[in-house]
Amino acid sequence: MDDVIVPEADDLGTAVGLHAGFPNAATTSGQGALSLDRLLIRSPSSTYFFRVRGHHWQGEGIYDGDIAIVDRSITPSEGSTVVWWTDVGELRIARWHHNMQQNTWGTITATIHQLVPIFD
Amino acid sequence: MYALIDSNNFFVSCERLFRPDIIGMATIVLSSNDGCAVARSNEAKALGIKMGEPLHELKRRFRIIDGPTSTPRERRPRRSPGEKKDDNERSDVTTFGGASPSSDYSQTGVVPYARPELVVFSANFHLYGDISRRIARTLARITPRIELYSIDEAFLDLGELNISDYTVWGRVLAARIYHDIGMPVSVGIAPTKTLCKLAADYAKHHPESQGSCFIDAGTSTSAPRERRPRRSPGVERAGSEQSDASTRVRGKPLTKTIDGFAPVTATLLASTPIQSIWGIGWRLAPKLKAEGIRTALDLARLRPQRAEQLMGVHGRRMVAELCGMSCIPLQSIHKPQQVVSRGRQFGHDTNDFSVIEAAIASMTTSATAALRHEGQLATRASARITTHRLKPGYQAISRDVHLYTPTSNTGTIASQLARLMQHDFDNHLSYHKVEVTLWDLVPDTQLQTDVFGTVDSQAHTRSTTLMHTLDALNSKHGNGTLRYAAEDLSHAWHPRKTLASQAYTTDWLQLPEIYAIQ
Repeated sequence: MDDVIVPEADDLGTAVGLHAGFPNAATTSGQGALSLDRLLIRSPSSTYFFRVRGHHWQGEGIYDGDIAIVDRSITPSEGSTVVWWTDVGELRIARWHHNMQQNTWGTITATIHQLVPIFD
Repeated sequence: MYALIDSNNFFVSCERLFRPDIIGMATIVLSSNDGCAVARSNEAKALGIKMGEPLHELKRRFRIIDGPTSTPRERRPRRSPGEKKDDNERSDVTTFGGASPSSDYSQTGVVPYARPELVVFSANFHLYGDISRRIARTLARITPRIELYSIDEAFLDLGELNISDYTVWGRVLAARIYHDIGMPVSVGIAPTKTLCKLAADYAKHHPESQGSCFIDAGTSTSAPRERRPRRSPGVERAGSEQSDASTRVRGKPLTKTIDGFAPVTATLLASTPIQSIWGIGWRLAPKLKAEGIRTALDLARLRPQRAEQLMGVHGRRMVAELCGMSCIPLQSIHKPQQVVSRGRQFGHDTNDFSVIEAAIASMTTSATAALRHEGQLATRASARITTHRLKPGYQAISRDVHLYTPTSNTGTIASQLARLMQHDFDNHLSYHKVEVTLWDLVPDTQLQTDVFGTVDSQAHTRSTTLMHTLDALNSKHGNGTLRYAAEDLSHAWHPRKTLASQAYTTDWLQLPEIYAIQ
């Protein structure tokens, strides 16, 4: 708990309103080295990572073993790719539709498909 | 004005974040040695499980379900009929669901299937620490005036914020933390930190308050308000009349102000037993009760002089705080730590010095890693070993070493502490606990010289580099990849972490899983 508090990406000039794409924070020139965190994570405190298990979403480009980046602060809209849980409480990938409100865990904003794993 | 943001059943809520399947099931988290319950879900509280209740007692009353392995996926095959349970479950879980009870049951006298289920986890501080930091970051964006009081509580100073309706503000904040981070919290807002505690507690136990309660003690100091009973300040909700009624404590609104308290505040104080007040410990509560002081209201009515007689300056301050006069300011978080301490209980009490030496080395490793992370050096180190507090002949040995050159070097500190301890160690005693503390910390940028005014700076640099390499390797490959030879010769002292969930958020190899299936 004694960590230094660091400002989050959306303190640094990103609008509070939500956009489908990613705002300019990561692409602005003059920011020094490129940061994947800035590119992929809009709000660090509401972003979680998951490991994808299963092949059903391959057609959509989400593969077994991928890392899914999930931002809970983004409100899903019709057709968003989300994490939700089934009646027995299993977390799954789904296309969001409005009657899933109760069981929605968060919105998947990106997946990482590593060709050469660094951690193994 | 202050706000307290207090997570509800924090450890259990953390465990539930990635486990929607255990929502609604009675769940507890155990202390680091799996000894007793340190966090309970509301369902567990409703079953009468007490804070600190030992696991072995709970095993008699409940069917213990192993938290980490009870996921929907792992549970499914177990349902097949006639399947034998694991060995370690046999005593707790006998035949379930209609089969004739076995002999275990006649011994215990409890019908097995009558026992309620209880989901049990070991403490997972990687997870709890990460979630706690997420909440802290979110709060720090509201105001930099923040005090992280504990892993699950933070105070905010709202003085410089422009908030028109505190209750609504608190409710929006609670909803946001739940939505964005996934943690249920209660927000208590009041002119003093002590009242914040009471307000947050009220919000926690009254679902209709939607996680937020505002106590305004200061605005109603005059005679009874006749014309506007519904709009009287005090515990206030969103402003609509029907919601106003639901916040009144126990549905018995007082119509007069009492000793200057707004009616609703007075009712809240009157319904708060003395031992629930922040700062009244188990030692003070019986003493006050003997004086006839049973509720927060009794205490708030006390004359300051009398309070000081009973409890010292502390008491005077507490009375003022309950009356809405702030005396306990926010503690800054940026103050570097003055002491780093690491302690652990042995899995089994031991009189084997090699085990104790291993534990000292391991605690020193952990403490010095924290020190290096903060960029600090220690000038004093101490080790303390104690026998079991609850067994007869309780004994403690404490040894102190002055480090003439301030250091964060694990080897230097651990070897000196172990040598001193060996000298005084009594092998007729069984030791229960070991603790290593580093004192008088200084920043490593201003390395002070020792009494002779000399610093072997080359040796210092060498040891710093070695230590950073050690930390880097441990952080890359997991703690404990590289160790000192003395560390952990025996696993006897190591806590039994059998029921801990994975480090979901702090290790790429332990991420929670989502299923891409139909």
